[in-house]
This record gives sequence, structure tokens and C-alpha cells, in this order.
Amino acid sequence: MDYDVLVVGAGIAGEEASLSLGQMGYKVLLVEKGPSIGGKMVLLSKTFPTLDCASCISTPKMAETYHHPNITLMTYAEVKEITRKGDGSFKARLLQKPRYINEAACTACQQCEMSCPVMVTDEFNFGLTVRKAAYIPFSTAIPNKAVIDVDNCILCGACEKVCPAGCIDFTQMPQEVEFTVGSVIVSTGFELCDAEKKPAYGYGRYKNVITAMQMERLLAPTRPYNTVLRPSDGRVPDNIAYVLCAGSRDNTVENPICSRVCCMYSLKQAQLLMGVLPLADITIYYMDIRAFGKGYEEFYQQTKAMGTNLVKGRVGKIDEKENGNLILHYEDIDNGAVKRQAEHDLVVLAVGFLPNNEITKVFKEDRLLLDDSHYIKEIDEDMHPGKTSIDGVFVAGTSSGPMDIPDTIIHAATAAGHAAVHAENIKKGSR
Amino acid sequence: MKGRRIGVYICHCGGNISDHVDVEKVKEAVSKEEGVVVAKTTMFACSDSGQQEIIDDINEQNLDGIVVASCSPKLHLYTFRGVAARGGLNPYQYIQVNLREQDSWAHTDDPEGATEKGIRLVLAGVKKAKFSTSLEPIMINTKKSVLIIGAGIAGLRSAIFLADLGMDVFLIEKEVEPGGWVRKFKKLYPQEKSGEEIIKELLEEVGKRKNIDLFTEAELVEQTGYVGDFNLKIRTKQDEISLNVGAIIVATGFDMYKPQDGEYGYGAEGVVDLPQFKQIVEASDGRLTYNGKEVKNIAYIYCVGARQKPGVENANVYCSRYCCNAALHISTLVSELDPSITQFHLYRDIRTYGKYELLYEEAAKKGAVFVRFNEDEPPEVGKSNGNLQVRVKDLLMAGKELQIEVDLVVLVTAMVPKQTEAIANILKIPIGRDRFFNEIHPKLRPVETVINGIFIAGACQFPRNSSEAVASSLAAASKSAALLLKGYTELEPSVATVNSARCKWCGLCEEACPYSAIDKVESEGRVIATVNRALCKGCGACVPVCPQDAIDIEWYTDSQVRAMIEGLAKEIEVART
Repeated sequence: MDYDVLVVGAGIAGEEASLSLGQMGYKVLLVEKGPSIGGKMVLLSKTFPTLDCASCISTPKMAETYHHPNITLMTYAEVKEITRKGDGSFKARLLQKPRYINEAACTACQQCEMSCPVMVTDEFNFGLTVRKAAYIPFSTAIPNKAVIDVDNCILCGACEKVCPAGCIDFTQMPQEVEFTVGSVIVSTGFELCDAEKKPAYGYGRYKNVITAMQMERLLAPTRPYNTVLRPSDGRVPDNIAYVLCAGSRDNTVENPICSRVCCMYSLKQAQLLMGVLPLADITIYYMDIRAFGKGYEEFYQQTKAMGTNLVKGRVGKIDEKENGNLILHYEDIDNGAVKRQAEHDLVVLAVGFLPNNEITKVFKEDRLLLDDSHYIKEIDEDMHPGKTSIDGVFVAGTSSGPMDIPDTIIHAATAAGHAAVHAENIKKGSR
Repeated sequence: MKGRRIGVYICHCGGNISDHVDVEKVKEAVSKEEGVVVAKTTMFACSDSGQQEIIDDINEQNLDGIVVASCSPKLHLYTFRGVAARGGLNPYQYIQVNLREQDSWAHTDDPEGATEKGIRLVLAGVKKAKFSTSLEPIMINTKKSVLIIGAGIAGLRSAIFLADLGMDVFLIEKEVEPGGWVRKFKKLYPQEKSGEEIIKELLEEVGKRKNIDLFTEAELVEQTGYVGDFNLKIRTKQDEISLNVGAIIVATGFDMYKPQDGEYGYGAEGVVDLPQFKQIVEASDGRLTYNGKEVKNIAYIYCVGARQKPGVENANVYCSRYCCNAALHISTLVSELDPSITQFHLYRDIRTYGKYELLYEEAAKKGAVFVRFNEDEPPEVGKSNGNLQVRVKDLLMAGKELQIEVDLVVLVTAMVPKQTEAIANILKIPIGRDRFFNEIHPKLRPVETVINGIFIAGACQFPRNSSEAVASSLAAASKSAALLLKGYTELEPSVATVNSARCKWCGLCEEACPYSAIDKVESEGRVIATVNRALCKGCGACVPVCPQDAIDIEWYTDSQVRAMIEGLAKEIEVART
């Protein structure tokens, strides 16, 4: 056995599961598809309800994961195939994608990044800025190493000329590796709902309609503009609207379920905006405020007391004015259930979660079942939360459904527990 | 302390600090301090590259002490101790200065003042580092055994898990029967499994495992010791048992809110709380009856005992999380029983989070009628022509006042914290403002407490449903396993030490110690004080009472604290603009 557990996906769930197992003494192989670990959490501004800065509480976990003696980390690598063996263990075939740099020699000096002439939309800023084709994902990336995005690279060689360590290497090839592992934890996270699927809200057509994830970036300590600006003209907005349930609780986009976090992150962003733009008015249009976790209702009441305007009513459609301002059409339920219009200069769509179930493809003989909402199915939530349809494959965090960070941490530690018991059973030969 | 080589790193914290503190000025000021050989600013000292830079400096500049001025040590003390260790330094040669919580965040309105204070804080840190010595953590051998308090679903499930990892488990239950609330329930949402059956299965599994001891009618009465080695006294009906365990999981569950007499008509015939209603539904076969009378109309009133207005003593300001789901679930069961029953749901917000939204949809499809009321105008329950009547203004219908005649009013009651002060006192674990047990960090460490080796699982931490309680109990069990499986744990060496030449044993320190960590001992023909290093928490209560000045706290020695005060009070010049 090469590793007791293979953990797929190194967001907060994968990190937590790996660390729990590492602390118990099990050997873990943690595989991340992207060039850095940290998932979506490290890209957030602050976290509700404590307003801890997300970078500040994520980076220690990331660093601990990276340095833990029992955890082997592979970034920029994909799982291609997982097959179950007779003794209850698994064979995993992985593909290490080339970064086209010598990882050991790279010092993250960013010379390659500065010299690269190719501009690409920056996925780590959710399209607010551009990055280069030779780049470091973000300032707190782990590992903090450059990567060359070969799909966009024009092979001009500019980076090669400036790299002081001479570590650019275009001869690197994808490499397949194979390991035997005792069990598998799927922690591949979620997809963000595509806001363009709600054409009535104008995302993609109206410049001043942005997603909440973009607002997270505008508010983050590593924010691109050092303040909050609206896209159409770079003005500081002073009348911001939040449209909740944009793509959740909505059968028209085939996502009838609630995403669990959008109410709370919108309230949080409202509080943060009041700090950044003390004069701005903030209005939240909602169906139900779902402040259901520990300290959440208190946070909701505090946000209201700070002056956020909460309007019960779903926004039906949004029109754009010539000056870039937006007209929201909504029903004001609490005040006579009448149709109204309101003008705002920036609209934030509280987009929710969609399932990320691509991993099911890698299981060749057994089927990894999905639930009715297309998340990875937990076959016995009552007794074995985190257990999937394949014996020895467990699910951690938002791969199994929308959840917030504390619930993700609990779920990940649970999955780690199952994997530990599975490893013990393999040792005893009772599988 | 001459000849020290200290490296100082001042962190921007990505703007959290540098937006209000001029980090370049702080760097400038401290770089002049004697003994400082490296002074730098850094965007995120905690990032991988930030850490590597420090390690490289330790090696290249031969540093023998480092100071990082960043956030609270609560966040990153261990991160940077790790950095020191990887650079080959003793981890206790690292000193953290809190420039964020103690400076930038507190003085956002006064950048110059914040910068001046920052300089003083960092100077104090440097002074402390100059007097720091190498220390080794205190090693404790950990017992591979766990006490679980409460044999409800959370306690039972975590017991099985820990037993399967080879641990000895002691499970104590106050009641005669194990199984808690879940044992009393038939159908649980969303899997429709029977709670009674689940508990039966779990008890069978517990029975199969030789390394689980279950004691009913048992209570924890005393705890001494420390992480990895707790000594406990358990009182059962028959006798008192002494146990020695490595960790403790508290899974004491919750109480159900009991409405006050007259609260929404509670006490009158036909007004029931949620557990009572669950029993009525589960006892029905075919027709729903109450006191022999057929039930055709039901009004549910939500948020009873939850989301209360603050101000009243012990108000439950929190949302009780499970109740919307539970009420809608039972509403679907009622519809299945008799689709002709009309059910009115009087709510403030429907909080069927996540996939539970499907329950809401199902209840609505089955004909549930939703009425939204304003928190300032709650429904009134009264009588009209001898029938129960609920009056409410429905916001969904432009505030129209409805008078609904019903056979049954169901008060959707909240989970409330159990009266667990006794356990909290014995274990010394904190209770939060909502009166549930408090975790050490609500975001990233939801099942751990401030006391090493003591964990909280299930609804004693916050309301949750049974599968969520199971998940949190397995998480707590995983954390216990992570602590105990290694066989040892390390404790902070920042504890009291006695200067044996000075000590003349007067006993004042023993009296002052809140942890019973000091005792007298004979040494070379004299009686002097001795400290149990595992019990000592380094609180310092013994230091000022010693008339001989014979006690010091390692890492906070008198000379270190004196030097820090010097640093804080040093004359500095900051240009005011």
C-alpha cells in the first residue's frame, strides 16, 4: 500500500480531512487539480459570523497541510482512474500536468509573470482582472510557484530570458503515476451557479451586475483595486442591491434547493461594505433570511441594526439605464405586497452552489451514485454521514451538497474518521 | 543580553495591518534596536513564501531569535514556531507581536498613533526575544481511552467509532435508558428512518464491542488530571467508579423549549408543542385524532422559544435550526395520513436550508398554507364559539387579518441548552452567550474546546438534527483519535519554575494556585515548593505572592517582562503630520 488514503481536492474540506488523518498517523496522498491548494475559501474576504479574514485563517491550514510529514501533496494533478481491488483497497492512476517550470528552483520572484505579454482573464479574481500566461495563482498560493498556462502561451520565450533561476522548461511532459491506496475521500467542492442562466438579471449584459464571488474579491485583503468600484465607469457605488437566491431555490434553472450560505455571506458583505463605503445604502432583496447556524441569527439582527435595508420580495427582472444604473422590479411583500421599482448603481447577485460531480467518471467498475440534486450521494446519512455508494470511498464537504465552512469542517473530520476505520479494517484483513 | 542576532518581520496582513499602521516606519524604527540584524516588511508572513523567507534568513544570517509582528498569536503562534523549528531554531526563540487585533484594527481612526503604538509593541517583542531561552515541550503519555458523557445518538455513534479504532470507551448516561431524544422518535427526516430503530441498532453494535462500557444512571462527579491523562469519578446508583482516560467527549444533548402558560395559548386544550404533536401523529393510524376528536385543521406557529427579542433575561435570540425542517416534515406525514386535513404554517422565515428545501416544496405541493407574520405582531390564539381560533396578519396577503378556526395549534418549539452548569464546572469548559457549550473557534474548530482533550459533540454545542449530531460526534471522535492514537502529546513548557536556592517554603504559592499544581517536597535536607508541570497552566498566580521572589514563569520570566516594559516605554520619535 502506497498510501492509507487518497484525498481528491485540496480546498478546506480536503485539507481538514488530510490533517485529521495525518494527525492520527495515517499516510495521505492529497491531490489538487489546480496550481494551488486552498480552494474557494482562501479567495474569500472575511467569514461570517466572526468576520475572521479568510486568508488569515486559511493560510495556516494550508501551510500545515503542505508541511505535514504524513501528507504528500500533488498539485496541478488530476485523478484519471480509480479501481477497487479485492482486498478493499484501490488502484489510482493520476496525471501530473507539467507546470513548465522547475518547481524546486522557482523562487516565486514573478519575473516571468512581469515579462509575459499574454493577458488572460484571471479566474482567481473571478474575471475582475487579467493575469498572465506565466503566473503565480495568487499572493498566498501554496505551493508558491509559477506555472505556465500552455493553452494561452504564445511560446515567445520572454519568460525564459528573464528567469534568474533558469527554471522555465518547455520540454516537460505530462506524467502518469499509479498508486495503491486504502480508501478515497472525495473533496472536490462545488461549482458556482452561472449567473447568465438568469437572463432577467442581465449578468454578462449589464456591466454593473456582478456576482457575490466578485464582490468577495473586491472586499478581500488581496483586493485588486483597494476599494469597491463598479465596473462600468470605475465609480464608487453608493446604492448597492443584493439579489438573493440568484440561481438557487429556482426551478427555472433546475436548481430547486437552497445553497445555505448566500443569505449569510450577503449579510456579511453588507457589513463589510458599510465599513469600506460608510455612505453607501445597501438593500438586500430576499425570500427568507436563512440565518440558521450558531451565531447567525445574532449576526442578522446586528446587520439590520447597522442600517442594512432588508426587503422581502423576489426580484423579477432588472433593466439597465443609460448611465449604467439598474432598475429592479420586485414585489414588496412586507409593505402591502405591491409591485415596486427601485434604482441602484450596483447589483450583486447572490449566486449559489451547483454540484461538481465530474469525479464520478474516474470510478471504472463501481458506480459512485448521485442524489436527486446531483451531488454525491450519502447512502446512510443517519448513521454514516460521508459514506458513498462505493465501500471505501467517502465524501467530504460540498461535494455532497451545499454547506458552510463549520459544517464542512465537521463533515471532513467525519469522512476522515470513516477512512481511518477503513484503513484499520484493511490492516486486520476484515474486508 | 548582548550578542543576540534577532530577525524582525512586520506583516502587512494584506492591508489588514498596513492600511492603518505605517509598516515601513515600524521597520525603520526597530531596525536601529541593538541586536536586530534583519528587519523586513512582508505582505503575508504566514504565506508559504513568507515563511520560507524567514527560514532562509535564519540560516543565512545566523539568527538566534525571531519576532513576527502580525496577527494574534491565537492564529499563528504555532505556524511561526514551526517556521523557527524548520529553520533550526528552538521554537521558543520565536516571539509574536500582535499588530492587528491590538493595534491596526483598534485604531483605524488614528494612523499615526497606531504606527507609534506599533513601534512600541514591536520593540517590546524584540526586548522579550533578547531574553528568550530554549525550552522543550512537556511530554505526556496519552491513554488510549475516552469518556463520552451522554448516550444519545451522538454519544453512541462516537463510542462505536472509537472502539473500532482500538480505543477503550466509557459511555455514561444520566437516564435509566440510553438513546436520548432520538429513541422516542419514529420517522426522522429526510431519510424517513425510525429513530427508535436507529438507537436499537446502535445499542446492538455497542453491545458487540468488548471495549465499550456503558453505564446508565451515571454521572460525572469529579475530574482531575489533564489532556491524555484525566482522572474521573463516576457515580452510579450502586457505587462510585474511578476512570482514567485520555480524552473526554461531551455529548449531553439538548432540552426542548417548554412554552410558558398562556404563551400562544399553551396550557389550553388543543395547544400542543412539537414533541407532543409528533407523538400524536405517530400514535395515529388512519385518522388523526386529538382527545378522541378528529383533527381537520391545524395551525403551526413557528419560532416558539427561538429568535426571541434580546433584552429579556435568558432570551433565546438564536435560531434553533432544526424546527422549520421538522415542522414541514411532520406536515407531510400528516398529509399522507389524511390529505383532507388543512394545515396552516404561521412563520417568520422558512429556513429549510440546503436540500431540506425539497421538504418545503413537498409540503407546499401537498397543500400546506403559508402565512407570514411580522415579529412585532405575533399570532394570537384564543377561542371563538368554543373552538380554537388563531388571529394573524398575513404579510403575504398585504397584511390582511385572518381568523383561522382550528382543531389543533402546534407550537413549533426550539431546542434549548440543557442545564449543564455542573458538567461545565467539573470540566471547566466555557458556555457561550446562547448558553450552549462553546467551541474554541466557531469556523475552523467547531468540536474542540479551550481545554485540551475535551471535545463537544451534537446538540450540546448548538441545535442540530440527528444526522448532523452524528456527523459532529464522528468529527469529535476523529479529533480525539488524532490526539490519542500517537500515544503521547506535548504541552506548553511555559509553566512555573521554582528557584530552589531561594525558596523557603511558606506555602503561599500552594494557596494561590487554582490548579492544585504546587506541592512541597524535601530536597537536600530542606523543604521547598515543587510544580507539577502537567497541571500548571502558567497562569502566574504564584509569582507575585512569593516573598522570596523564587518563582518565575518560563517564557514570561521577570527579566523578560521587565525588558518588555522598557521597550513599550522607550522614547521614540514619530513624525506627526
